[in-house]
Amino acid sequence: MSASTVQDADLEHPTDTRAGSELDESPLYVAPRARMFEFRSRLSTTRATVLAAAGLGTFFLIWQLGHSFSSAVNQKFFPSPIQVLTALYTLFATNNFLADVLKSCYRVFVSFALASLVAVPVGLLMGSFKPVRALLGPLVSAWRYLPAASFIPLLLVWFGPNDVSKLALLFLGVIFFLIALVVDNTEAVPNEFVEAGLTMGASRRKTLTDIIIPAAAPAIMDSLRNMIAVSWTYLVIAEIVGAQDGIGAVMMRAGRFLKVDIIMAGILMIGILGVFTDILFRTVTRLSMPWAFKR
Amino acid sequence: MQMVKPAVPVIQASRIYKQFGNGTITALRDVSIDLRENEFTAFVGPSGCGKTTMLRIIAGLEHPTRGRVTMNGTTVTGPGPERGMLFQAYTSFPWLTARRNVEYGMKLLGVPKAEREARAMEFLRLVRLEKVADKYPGGFSGGMKQRVALARTLAQNPSVLLMDEPFGALDAQVRWEMQELMIELMERERKTVVAVTHDIEEAIYLADRIVFFSAQPGRVKADIQIEFKRGRRFPKKEDLLAQPGYSELERHLFAMMREEIRAAAA
Repeated sequence: MSASTVQDADLEHPTDTRAGSELDESPLYVAPRARMFEFRSRLSTTRATVLAAAGLGTFFLIWQLGHSFSSAVNQKFFPSPIQVLTALYTLFATNNFLADVLKSCYRVFVSFALASLVAVPVGLLMGSFKPVRALLGPLVSAWRYLPAASFIPLLLVWFGPNDVSKLALLFLGVIFFLIALVVDNTEAVPNEFVEAGLTMGASRRKTLTDIIIPAAAPAIMDSLRNMIAVSWTYLVIAEIVGAQDGIGAVMMRAGRFLKVDIIMAGILMIGILGVFTDILFRTVTRLSMPWAFKR
Repeated sequence: MQMVKPAVPVIQASRIYKQFGNGTITALRDVSIDLRENEFTAFVGPSGCGKTTMLRIIAGLEHPTRGRVTMNGTTVTGPGPERGMLFQAYTSFPWLTARRNVEYGMKLLGVPKAEREARAMEFLRLVRLEKVADKYPGGFSGGMKQRVALARTLAQNPSVLLMDEPFGALDAQVRWEMQELMIELMERERKTVVAVTHDIEEAIYLADRIVFFSAQPGRVKADIQIEFKRGRRFPKKEDLLAQPGYSELERHLFAMMREEIRAAAA
């Protein structure tokens, strides 16, 4: 098709005035009915919200039904959602639960910050330089397979039943996984970025700070977000150790008195905090690296 | 018709050998190429003929097993900004805006901020990206991403520009536009250029000289000065296609390509 043909066609219809009538002459197209389960189809926000609410609603409904159909004795051990929410409210209103929640948040965030401060630089170096990887790789891999909870007795002997042993457990629980993830994130940086830097005259230090780090940053943020969820899961284990304060301690104490509603309120609280942590990380990533969200 | 033949070699590659896998694979065997000032050379050949390896050795991104590459008399042992490189994969940094991308190369060279900013805009205008100077390349098309990388490389003012299938990942229309842009830039920038390509038409359009590689082991099969162009550059590609001598050269190169592919299959 030559270029002149296209021009001729344009000259024939200099304006769009005929478009309306032309449109009417064209046969009507009847689209097939949209199916619910179409592979990778788009979903409107409203529909997504409705479905999410339906999922949550069903969960609470089944929970409520399970409670309602239990015997009076069993109901004590399986409180209804309302009872759990009431317990949660009472905890905040009369038992100064907020102090425990803040204490737990402090433990998770401080231990996680320390773990990140070690894991991110170590992972970046391991992912960038083969000798560093050869030196630390086997060590990190081995540690990953050791259950963090098995260090509780050791940490108690070393640090005593205080905050340090709890922070140490949370630290140990995530750091080796975090290192492994950061190594992967660093190695995933395209070679061409590094080579482009080298051909522009970037030094090794500049290549690391100006290219590897920003290129890996969004993936590292994702790794951090996923690993802090693991940190929350270790919280209760950590707070069993010489339980005095924190959400885990409150739950352990409630367990001794068979206060199932308080135990479940604690679980619910950790879930809520987890969701908020997730949103926090996503928001920080979005604000600090807007470029990573362009397609 | 007299023709000014630029004679000074900027880069001399002498008797380059490149082996992989402890000598089991010979990618390049005894390749010697001189790159002359302001000359545009295309490395052409079938897949796996070592043309990209040769380019990477000139860039200093790979070491030859034997042989030596010198630039203005100095042996090349690693990459450097005097040999700018454009890759097939998009290397515009997504974490920097188009403007900052172009500035980055100059920053590495220690160009003062004010000059850097002015030059960045000049080169963005040259590759027609001035309107998206402050946008991140994440949402750019392939051609736009490649133009950011090209502007970044040219802004460093390298004396040699190395391109590894720079338009290979682009669709036909964008490739054509990029080729015409290259002609325009070469007219203005006057550089010694090497482009690896398997697109014969592209090689004839852009280059003054075609070095044809034979496959496995890679060696120089033919070193062709494109005589019919007589040193002219054609801003419009169709004007080149109309030149007497164009189709003969194209046919010749296609025949050589077929011969090599057949030989490699045998």
